[in-house]
Amino acid sequence: MPDKRLSVLLLALALILAGCAAEKKVSEKTTPKPSKEIVIGVTDKITELDPANAYDFYTWEVLNNIMGGLMRYKPGTTQLEPYLAESYEIKNNGTVYIFHLRKDLKFADGTPCTAYDVVRSIKRVMKIQGDPSWLVTDFVKDVKALDKYTVEFDLKKPVSYFLALVATPPYFPVSPKYDPDKIDPDQTAGGVGPYRIVKWVRDQELILEANPYFFEKPKTDRIVIRFYKDATTLRLALQRGDVDIAWRTLSPVDIMTLKKDPNVKVYEVPGAFIRYLVLNLNMSPTNNKLVRQAIAYAINRTDIAERVYMGTVEPLYSLIPKGMWSHLDVFKKYGDGNIEKARELLKKAGYDEHHKLKLVLWWTPTHYGDTEKDLAQVIKEQLEKTGVIEVQLKSAEWSTFVDYERKGVMMMSLLGWYPDYLDPDDYMTPFLKSGSNKWLGNGYSNPKMDEILEKAATTTDIKERTKLYEEAQKILAEDVPIIPLVQGKLFVVAKKNIKGIELDPTMILRYWTLEKIEQ
Amino acid sequence: MNIVRLPEAREWMIWAGIVIVASIVFMAVFAPFIAPYDPTEMTNDILKPPSLKHIMGTDNLGRDIFSRVVYGSRVVLEVVFSATLFSMAIGVPLGLISGYFGGKLDRVLSMVMDSIYAFPSLILAIAIAAMLGPSVFNAIIAIAVVYVPTYYRMTRGQTLSLKSALFVEAAKTIGAGDFRIIRKHILPNVLPTILVVFTLCVADAILTEAGLSFLGFIVSAPTPDWGFDLSAGRPYLPAGYWWLITFPGLMVMLLALGFALIGEGLSERYLRREI
Amino acid sequence: MGSLKEYIIMRALLVIPTVFILLTLVFFILRILPGDPIVAMLGQKVPPEVLEKLRAELGLNKPIWEQYIDYLSHVIRGDLGRSMIWGRRPVIEEIMDRFPATLELTIFSFAISVFLGITTGSIAAFRRGSKIDTGMRLYSIIAYTLFIPWFGMLLQMLFGVYLDLLPIGGRIDPGLEPPHITGLYVLDSILTMHWRSLESALAHLILPSLTLGIVLSGAYTRLVRNNLIEVLNQDFIRAYRARGVRNRKIAFHAMKNAFIPIITLMGLQFAILLAGAVLTETTFSWPGIGTFLLERIQYRDYTSVQGVIVFYALFVAMISLIVDVIYALLDPRVRY
Repeated sequence: MPDKRLSVLLLALALILAGCAAEKKVSEKTTPKPSKEIVIGVTDKITELDPANAYDFYTWEVLNNIMGGLMRYKPGTTQLEPYLAESYEIKNNGTVYIFHLRKDLKFADGTPCTAYDVVRSIKRVMKIQGDPSWLVTDFVKDVKALDKYTVEFDLKKPVSYFLALVATPPYFPVSPKYDPDKIDPDQTAGGVGPYRIVKWVRDQELILEANPYFFEKPKTDRIVIRFYKDATTLRLALQRGDVDIAWRTLSPVDIMTLKKDPNVKVYEVPGAFIRYLVLNLNMSPTNNKLVRQAIAYAINRTDIAERVYMGTVEPLYSLIPKGMWSHLDVFKKYGDGNIEKARELLKKAGYDEHHKLKLVLWWTPTHYGDTEKDLAQVIKEQLEKTGVIEVQLKSAEWSTFVDYERKGVMMMSLLGWYPDYLDPDDYMTPFLKSGSNKWLGNGYSNPKMDEILEKAATTTDIKERTKLYEEAQKILAEDVPIIPLVQGKLFVVAKKNIKGIELDPTMILRYWTLEKIEQ
Repeated sequence: MNIVRLPEAREWMIWAGIVIVASIVFMAVFAPFIAPYDPTEMTNDILKPPSLKHIMGTDNLGRDIFSRVVYGSRVVLEVVFSATLFSMAIGVPLGLISGYFGGKLDRVLSMVMDSIYAFPSLILAIAIAAMLGPSVFNAIIAIAVVYVPTYYRMTRGQTLSLKSALFVEAAKTIGAGDFRIIRKHILPNVLPTILVVFTLCVADAILTEAGLSFLGFIVSAPTPDWGFDLSAGRPYLPAGYWWLITFPGLMVMLLALGFALIGEGLSERYLRREI
Repeated sequence: MGSLKEYIIMRALLVIPTVFILLTLVFFILRILPGDPIVAMLGQKVPPEVLEKLRAELGLNKPIWEQYIDYLSHVIRGDLGRSMIWGRRPVIEEIMDRFPATLELTIFSFAISVFLGITTGSIAAFRRGSKIDTGMRLYSIIAYTLFIPWFGMLLQMLFGVYLDLLPIGGRIDPGLEPPHITGLYVLDSILTMHWRSLESALAHLILPSLTLGIVLSGAYTRLVRNNLIEVLNQDFIRAYRARGVRNRKIAFHAMKNAFIPIITLMGLQFAILLAGAVLTETTFSWPGIGTFLLERIQYRDYTSVQGVIVFYALFVAMISLIVDVIYALLDPRVRY
């Protein structure tokens, strides 16, 4: 027995010694940290690296950094500008778009990128028919290369926001290494963009380095993205100094904690993510306009923003988010928590203390995070405060919820929306235009609204469009088929020595503007 | 070596268990008289630590946690009792028939039951509950399915050994029918075992229920339920709000402990294990 | 040994009906409720015609029986199909990405629970009837009734938040992952001598495996205690005692003889270990199969959920087969 024990002890000792020695070696090798490196922590994940099928916000952010489109949003704004293209022309009443490419475009391995590559990439998206392919196929009839540097799009009909569409990943030219016929989820070859991937371990780490063949040199050569499993661990990693920037998505409690931390800076801007309440017009009693308006009176958005989200969102009084052109606070006329007015309208509709208005409110757990159940409960409380409404809460798990939504079996339901392209059209047409809003299942249809939205979608003059959307929003506030609730804010929390964080409603962090000032 | 048995140990366990279970059942029945507040009423006392006003503190919407804990006992008890009785009602008759008659039916049933039994129970319950959608009724079904094999195997085993017992043979020779024998001679002898299995199943089912509820497969807000409230309090844990999670979880453990103690004591008393 | 081989083959064949039954159950339950993966992913955005096209592509528009037979014929050939969402990667790849995490957690928890179980169980058995025995038995019951998420959170609160000693979620600090050999971070970092990775992996393992280990140890305490007591009552121990053999030597013999049945019973507990792992993974954001299952259930990713269930069933069956074989090899009396 004793000799055995001794040998175990010796082995352990040997291991420890070896460990110390090796540790020294490792640390010696890694101490001169590349000064031009920024580490970003996220809790999101990259679902796949193929723009033909990727359809979630975080992946789109990464694609925006390793690829680029013919157009892009000027960082920090919602304005479009030519990017891989030098210039563009619009012809035939907005049904033909011609882009003139820059002549110095190269993929990350140095292969030149020409108009033929652009056409090949977009045709590939149309052929594969992945999840976001409708952003191309619904609008584009044909795309062709007129010469090495000129691309022509023929549209099915005039689309006023086509330039915004061209700025989305399905339109990005990709390296010839992508499988031409199939989704290529793990392909790291990228496209023409400021960075290229040097290492990708799914759900763990993504390392980017500056693409030497790109025409704009990033401020920081190396970006490391680390994928954390939960928000709290990410918050602690930032506080410990393991990451320079904590990005999507910290929880309200964590943001609250970080705001008190003197070593970090919290950046916040309005995001383009909105939350709203859908009312079913095919179902009694929400088919009664008075009832819908009464609900709009009773809702208290500032209370929701405070109690449910701890101030990490802001009240929203229209479907078009604040910060986007043509936004009008049309729901302000109902006020917040205007109980007297709500009671008055309900009385007109025939409801009182003895004959209460009975409503059913649906919500879905997990999809919108931990706070969703609180949102449902707070809305219930706000409506019941009128004393003449009784709300029953019901929940369904996400896939069922979406299905119920389409079938129109829910009286009131809580939903959210991330835009596909930044244009008021993406916040109006899918919700309010009959035919396009079938997925919402609430049966809203107003010929006047349809006419305005159709006109706004095909006109190219921005002043004219603004007027049309303002009119549409006023009709929305009158008809109340949907009640906007809150608009998300974006939070980036970074160490004090990080500069160049430019956030805007695109919700995309541009890694190439980031800078680390060494102290 | 001390081999003297302490007969009090098992009795003591049974009684301790009964006291715990009885107090929680009492709490569930008389919840409106015990809870100082409406469990769904929101106030402006948000995230307040335990005090005289709120002895277990308040949650992020300003609700009294003690009141929620008191009312929370209702869902657990309802789900767990219905589910285990349900699985007993299926498992025991099947076990009796299977064990007594044997043959092809026995082989097929045993195979099905064994496959379910061998599979991790909570995972199966999650799969079923998640697919059926979150509701109390669906949770009862999900949990019931999981415990059917336990009753079945226990009953079948006992029936097999009783089948060849002398008094059963005797009943057969005087021409008693099969079902009469099962009812009059076998079932009464299986009962004590069923009782023990029942209490142990309940203890386990409480943890399964809490697990399902924690994952959001049983109740929907604002219904108070321990597992659900535990998960609702979770985001506040890293910021140090300990009271949101401590009390609901403690109740889950106490209730399960109550039944486990009874089950342990009973199994010693009835199964005459050499202990 | 020939008969042992036969036995193994027979046992392996018996796994087939088990998997088949569970698969059938899950396949049909999955399709009871409205909603499917396409709707869940794209229901809000995509025009109805496109939805139909995507459904057809995944075969979701076929009659359910046809889908069932299609799927079964693939599973028989060892093909679990492709996930229906997020890149549509092969299910087996998705599972194998996460399996090492679950395996690592279960191995460590198992080790902790066995250690605690044997210690407390044998103390109880040798001090049978004493206050210590009662204490150990109470420990076993209480440990068993600890609700995993709750107990885990208490540990997180104590060691992660107040004392700030240990990480409360994840498997390793991102960026420290050792080169992939087996996927078990602890083993890989030892093999490749990445000591900082080892340190980080171990630190992340402590709380989750302690949680699961302690909860499971309750059952082992009982097993070890009851088995040891049985052995202690057997004739050969009485004979030793009569001959005046020293207590320590008796204990050694008793443990040796109690060990074999304990192994089998521990094998049976494996299913409980896996079930507990699901809750532990959720509590500690551990990227294993359990969290994967829960994530995919939400989006009705049919193939992934079915694949995970098949995988679990095979895994449990394999473990119990291995335990049986070990038992047969260890105990010369068992012959098949």
